[in-house]
Amino acid sequence: MSSPSLLSSQSTASRKDKSSAMVPDDFMWQGYSALETQWRVERLLSRYVACIDDDNLEEWPSFFTQDACSYEIITRENVERGLPLTLVFCTSQGMLADRIVSLREANIYPQRWYRHIVSNVLIQAVAEDHLEVQSHYVVLQTRRNGQTSIFSAGKYKDRIVLQADELRFAEKRVVVDTHSIDTLLVSPI
Amino acid sequence: MSSQCTGNYTGKAPAVWPAKVNQIPKEVFGDAALFEEELKTIFYGDCWHIVGHFAEVPNVGDFKTFDLGRVPLLISRGKNNQVRVFYNTCTHRGNQLEVATSGNRKEFECPYHRWLFSLEGALTACPGSKEFAPDFKQENFGLMEVKSAQFMGLIFVTMGKNTPPLTEWLGEIVPPTLSTLLGGDGRLKLLGYQKVRYDSNWKGYNDNDGYHAPMLHTAFRLLNWQGGTTGFQRMTKNGHVVFEAELKAIQNNGFVNDPSLVEFKGSDPARGSRIVQLFPATVMVKHLDIINLRFAIARSHDVTEVHYAYFAHEDDSEELVQHRIRQGSNLLGPCGMISMEDAAIFQRIHIGNQTPGFAEFQKGVTSLMEVPMDVKQNDETGNLPRWEHYRKVMGFKREGEK
Repeated sequence: MSSPSLLSSQSTASRKDKSSAMVPDDFMWQGYSALETQWRVERLLSRYVACIDDDNLEEWPSFFTQDACSYEIITRENVERGLPLTLVFCTSQGMLADRIVSLREANIYPQRWYRHIVSNVLIQAVAEDHLEVQSHYVVLQTRRNGQTSIFSAGKYKDRIVLQADELRFAEKRVVVDTHSIDTLLVSPI
Repeated sequence: MSSQCTGNYTGKAPAVWPAKVNQIPKEVFGDAALFEEELKTIFYGDCWHIVGHFAEVPNVGDFKTFDLGRVPLLISRGKNNQVRVFYNTCTHRGNQLEVATSGNRKEFECPYHRWLFSLEGALTACPGSKEFAPDFKQENFGLMEVKSAQFMGLIFVTMGKNTPPLTEWLGEIVPPTLSTLLGGDGRLKLLGYQKVRYDSNWKGYNDNDGYHAPMLHTAFRLLNWQGGTTGFQRMTKNGHVVFEAELKAIQNNGFVNDPSLVEFKGSDPARGSRIVQLFPATVMVKHLDIINLRFAIARSHDVTEVHYAYFAHEDDSEELVQHRIRQGSNLLGPCGMISMEDAAIFQRIHIGNQTPGFAEFQKGVTSLMEVPMDVKQNDETGNLPRWEHYRKVMGFKREGEK
């Protein structure tokens, strides 16, 4: 019998990840040293979550590449079972903007604050034109009554490129451990 | 002018309901003791409950665990492809048998004393059985099966002794719409889940109506989602509601930058919107190209957990599958940008009803003394037969009733 898993007994293959892969200490990427690349990636992630937590959501799509991009929130449960359905799936900056218009103009939801904590930023692959980066996140949620709880925990799997002198997300895949959503998910993670 | 409060809020559901059929005592949402009665009478009683679909366990050895109220269930596809529902418990000392939410097994093993059960539920090994009690017979200790039935792969269970046959329970109104919703023949392919926990009583979760859709969901209006007036709501006396609405081609009034998301590629645009709500707690929808079955678990008087399961049809082209994934991933459910408001309403219904008086239905009410069975597309009275059925099942009297 296969080893026990939280979710499923058939997912050994899909659970395998490259998280232990190492890139060399001394790589160069787009003229940046390894250290500078790491710093720029971390700054991108910090600016990204500050944009969301400070409610500057109209700027959120600009963190993605202009021509084509992918933003996806998917539960780890679906990933481990090989199921493609996501919670949010945007394939253009237009779709990202639509999410924000909907949130501002159409959707009704309880007011609450998000607070993202991002850590363990790991560059996993360095290609000529992009980086593959994994990081961990936690989103704390503070409801109107002032109580704070963990809304979501998971990881980012990002494909990052340099466009117009800025690092941007060509792909951002949010893999959510917390597959039981507390009421609803309206803001991006 | 404000209105006068007519009674004291006790928090306890009254045994006698008002004579007016459109008034629901608010206490039924927040009364923890009533929830225990509902478990006994409805969830463990003579009702059918939907716990899954065959497409969730497509291969021999696939299983899914689910809860009916607090009762753990194990749904297993056996070697002859028959899907059975068991209580998820070892027949020895009652240990929970399977802890994963889904997976594939050759057999089920209880780790406590290594009792082993086949996919069909037979006890195949129990170490040390020579020293078991004198009356022990291995063949008497197979997994306990829950009475189940299926409709196009939808799995129904009942723990009641006097539950009517499923065809009788569904009646005549439900099957035509339900079968269309299930792709015509129920040959579905699972795309994945969105699971959510609502801080709401199951009856609040289940009380959405035809009136609210174009009112609450601004995006429906912005997209001209529910045009047409040729739709209908039909109800059964035992609390089911069937809803069909015309889906005019969606007009993108500049609301979305990327209108490909709301394209309709299906074959029946004249009836692009279908909802089947089965008593007590299951909602199933087909909107645009989304096939969405919502498996609900009444956890407590103030928590309802819902597993939104999305499906394609087995015969779909790859392009249509991708389209269904895109729509299912963005439009409906707890993260869907056109209807996530429902989640906020479930919670507010729950909080707001812990006050004196009645939740009072208005839109479509023509008689205060008769439960309406003739209801228009955007009336809210389609819910009243379900409330009436609930009242009778739970044994609440009406004022003046003997």
